[in-house]
Order: sequence, then C-alpha cells, then structure tokens
Amino acid sequence: MTGALFAQSLVLGVLLGGLYALLAAGLTLYFGVMRVVMIAHSAFLILAAYLAWYFHETSGLDPLLSLVITVPLFFVVGYGMQRFLVSRLRPISLTTMSVLLTFAIALTIEGLLGFVWTGTQRRVQLGYSGTSIEVAGVSIAVVKLIAFALAAISLGALFVILRKTSFGRALRATTQHPEAARLVGIDTDRVAGLGFGLGLATAAIGGTALALDYTIYPSLHWHWIGPLMAIIVVGGLGSIPGAAIAALLLGVAASLLQVPLGTTWAQTVFYLALFVTLMIRPQGFFGGRLAQRF
Amino acid sequence: MASEPTPELSPEPSAAEGPAAEPLLRLTNIQAGYGRAALVLRGLSVTVAPSSVVCLVGPNGAGKSTVLKVASGMLKPRSGQVMVDGEDVTGRTPQQLLASGLSHVPQGHSVFPEMTVAENVLLGAYTVRDRSLIAERTEFVTTLFPLVGERWSALAGALSGGQQKQVEFARSLMVRPKVVLLDEPSMGLDPKATAIVFEQVQRMRDAGTAVLLVEQNARRALEAADVGCVLDLGKVHITGPAPDLLADPRLAQLYLGGRPKEVP
Ligand SMILES: Nc1ncnc2c1ncn2[C@@H]1O[C@H](COP(=O)(O)OP(=O)(O)OP(=O)(O)O)[C@@H](O)[C@H]1O
Ligand SMILES: [Mg+2]
Repeated sequence: MTGALFAQSLVLGVLLGGLYALLAAGLTLYFGVMRVVMIAHSAFLILAAYLAWYFHETSGLDPLLSLVITVPLFFVVGYGMQRFLVSRLRPISLTTMSVLLTFAIALTIEGLLGFVWTGTQRRVQLGYSGTSIEVAGVSIAVVKLIAFALAAISLGALFVILRKTSFGRALRATTQHPEAARLVGIDTDRVAGLGFGLGLATAAIGGTALALDYTIYPSLHWHWIGPLMAIIVVGGLGSIPGAAIAALLLGVAASLLQVPLGTTWAQTVFYLALFVTLMIRPQGFFGGRLAQRF
Repeated sequence: MASEPTPELSPEPSAAEGPAAEPLLRLTNIQAGYGRAALVLRGLSVTVAPSSVVCLVGPNGAGKSTVLKVASGMLKPRSGQVMVDGEDVTGRTPQQLLASGLSHVPQGHSVFPEMTVAENVLLGAYTVRDRSLIAERTEFVTTLFPLVGERWSALAGALSGGQQKQVEFARSLMVRPKVVLLDEPSMGLDPKATAIVFEQVQRMRDAGTAVLLVEQNARRALEAADVGCVLDLGKVHITGPAPDLLADPRLAQLYLGGRPKEVP
C-alpha cells in the first residue's frame, strides 16, 4: 500500500468511525440505562435517512434541515417506546425479550419503508455531492466531512449532557446502580424514558448524515446493526467513551483493510474484534463494568 | 398528632422507648411480600424513637431487608401503616419519603462506582434544590466522615469496601434525614472496617439522626444499639433494650452463636 493510499484510507476510516461512534453511543446508552438490546436502532437510522431524503425531494431544501423535525420526533418516539413498550417487559427477562421486541420493530420499520417508498434504491443528489477538498494529497468528499462534523458535534453534546447536567448525572447513576438511584430520589422510570429518547435522537442525526453520502434502501439497516453491536461489546457495554473509542479504532481498521481485502472481508474485522473480546475480555476493553454482572 | 389510637395496634410493647418521645418511625402491622409469593412480613410492628439506634436481627431470609424496603417506599406493603414523625406516609415513593426525612442505605455495595466520591455525595442531595443548603451539608458530612473529604475526587468504585460504606453513609445524610435505614452495613468488611462502621453509627446518632439498623452480626450490632428486635417468620418475636437481649439465654442460643453472655 502506498503512503498516499494509506493516508487516504486512514482519513476515510476516521470519518466513518465518527459516524459509527455516534450510533454506537446511542446503542450503548439503551443498554446502559435499561439493559435493553435495541436491534431496531439501525432501522430507525435508515428511517431517518429516508425522512431526510424525502424532505429533500419534496421541499428541495438541504436534507440537513430535516434534523429540525427528526431529532425532536425521534426523541419523543424513543421516550414513548420505552414508557409504553419496553417498560412492559418483565424485568427478569428484559434483556432477552427486548431482542425479540426490537427485532419486530426493526422488521416493521423495514416493511413500512418498502411499502411507502418501495424497495428502489434512493440517493440524495446535492449541489455539493461530488465536491471534495484536497488536504496534503488526501482528497476528502465534503459530504463525508459534514457527516463527521455532525457526528462529532452530537457526540460532544451528548458528553456534555451526561457529564455536566443534573439529568446526565441522574442517567449515569441509574445506569450504574438503579436501586441506589431510586433511593437518592431519582425517578428512574422517567430517566430511562428520556435516555431512550436521547439514544433514538442519535439515530436521527446519524441517519441524516448517512443520507448525505450513501445510497439507501429499506433493508440497509442489517448492514449496520452487526458492526454496531460488535462495537459496543468491544467498548464495554454501557460505556459511551468506550463505544466511541472502539468505533474509531474499528472504523479505521475496516477502512485500512478494505484496500487489500475488499469491502466484504474488511467488514469481518468487527466480528473478529467481537470474538477476541468475548474470549479474552468479555467486559470490554474501554471501561464498562456492566458486562461483568451477566 | 396521629388520628389513630396507635398504642393498641402494636402487639409488642416497644420497651426501651424514651419517656414521652413520639417515635420518629413507626411501622404498624405491616404485611408485605413480593409478587404472588407468600407474604414475607406478617403483621410486623417496629418503632424507632428519636436519637436512638434500633437493631433488627434475624436469620437469613427472615425479611429484615424487606422491612427497610417497606419503610423507604421501595416496596409497597399489602396492609399496615408507615408513619414518619407522626405523618402517615404509607404507599409513598422513595422520592417522597426522602422529603419526609427517611434515607435508606441498601444491602451490599451501593455507590455509583464510575462516579467520583464528590458526585456520589452530591447525588445524595439530588432532591435538594437550595445550593447553600447543599454546601452546608457537604461540610457536615465531610466533617463527620473525614475520609470522604480526603478521597473527594477519587472514583468511588476504586475505594475499599469499608471506604465505600462511608461514602454511602455520607450520601444518605445529605438530606439530613430524621431516620436513616442501614441494611447490613458491616457485610463483607474486615473487623477493623466493621469497628469503624459501628463507631460511625454512633456518630450519626450523636448528630441527631435516629438509626434503624439491620445486621447479621447480631452480637456486635446489639452492643451498638439501644433497642433490639428479633425478627422471625415475618414478625418481631422479641423486643427490648439491647443489653437485655444480649443477656437473654434464649436469644443467645438461637442467634448469638450459643454462647450467652451470662452463663451460670
Ligand atoms: N426481589 C425479591 N423478589 C422476590 N422475593 C424476594 C425478593 N427479595 C427478597 N425476597 C424473598 O423475601 C424473603 C425475605 O428476604 P429479605 O431480603 O428481606 O431477607 P433478609 O432477612 O434481609 O435476608 P439476608 O439476611 O439474607 O439479607 C426471602 O425469602 C427472599 O427470598
Ligand atoms: Mg437482607
């Protein structure tokens, strides 16, 4: 591999890793606060991408503006989903049943997308779609940069919310010790609902970023959920910084391996990392003590 | 204060209650259990007088933790009454009970392990809005538990078991409760850490907080308590001043390792 190609792959890997990081952060958040495995996370991602595309098609405005609608919408849907569906599951079998429930939701979303917009592949065409900038011999598509910036800003915002606000402290407390959280007066049901909303909001942002740069179709979400699940296990279930670090590392690894191995084989790096993690360090590499409780 | 004629309701006379002191916490005829399973508590009554340490002892599974969960609102009783300082609080949530002056330190480790000691202690004041009050109480708990101040910015999960208990105590006092419920605070601690825990139970009492203490380590706990209650089959079997219980041969045989203090 030449130096230039390496640099190019590295940059692409970082840019892709940023998007993975945001999406994985959402996924690990559900698990952290609720012990829920949210298979439908990537289905909502694709739904948001479709909404961005449709928004652009009908209004002619920039698909980024659809965030103004999809972020609050997804937040509310996430809150409702937790309060009215997930919280009905019996605590004792919550984790396993949540797989079934969210699998069904994923299928429903996929079916609805196909029903409403057919199985045809869709792509947003923008004035700046083909534009790229060149930095030190590395050419970067503007849409990828925008997607990365969006992901980075959202992750930063998520971090500030979790670290600096009273709600964030309540959410982390609920994640780390639900019983003690109730005993200091935190309304853990409400916090779990809001946490779910926050997680789904990351899917809205991620989906919009995705729509800028990818061809989308209803079953695309299956390509995303596997790597995302692998990332949150490698990063340590429930740990947001862990998920972000693992996402960046694996994103870069997949991107670098793509050159010698091709796209399909490069994807296996996620599953390889998953197997290695489960074999030698099941609690994850970057924090997250939650997995030890299983 | 109370509209009910409380004395007749409690089957066991609460022997060592202060002269005319209205109890701060009174559980009356509590029946409670989990789901559809059989009742765990079957008509239990307990009172905690101001500035006293009441200790509940009993075998594993007797329902000791369940008593505390009912008192702090974590578990709703099927019947019976919970009174705090003369106010009927039956069926309230833990959040509301904190406001009524009840704080609960559960069994086992309960710090938030991936937060700092500071964050843990300040979360104890989650329901308190007044910043100056929070500052004042932080001062109070760090004086009462100097270790908490010393390890202020350490991760709570990195502390030893005994140190974590102190953080939990400090956290529970941030609402300046009238009564604090301690569930087996010495569990899993070495003798030295256990001694510190019991010394701090005294300090809490001296600082004006009544304590309802649950312990496996019955002898040690009764030595630290004013009143003892022996729980079995979901009821308080024997209750009385702690020194009397320690000397009681029946009890010694059953719960104190068969070595009564005053063997003839
Ligand atoms: N969450 C729960 N769900 C169902 N049953 C429970 C639950 N917690 C406790 N129990 C049952 O209630 C009974 C009393 O439990 P409890 O925890 O109050 O006992 P304990 O006296 O505190 O015991 P230990 O000394 O072991 O802590 C036990 O039979 C236990 O199996
Ligand atoms: Mg117990």
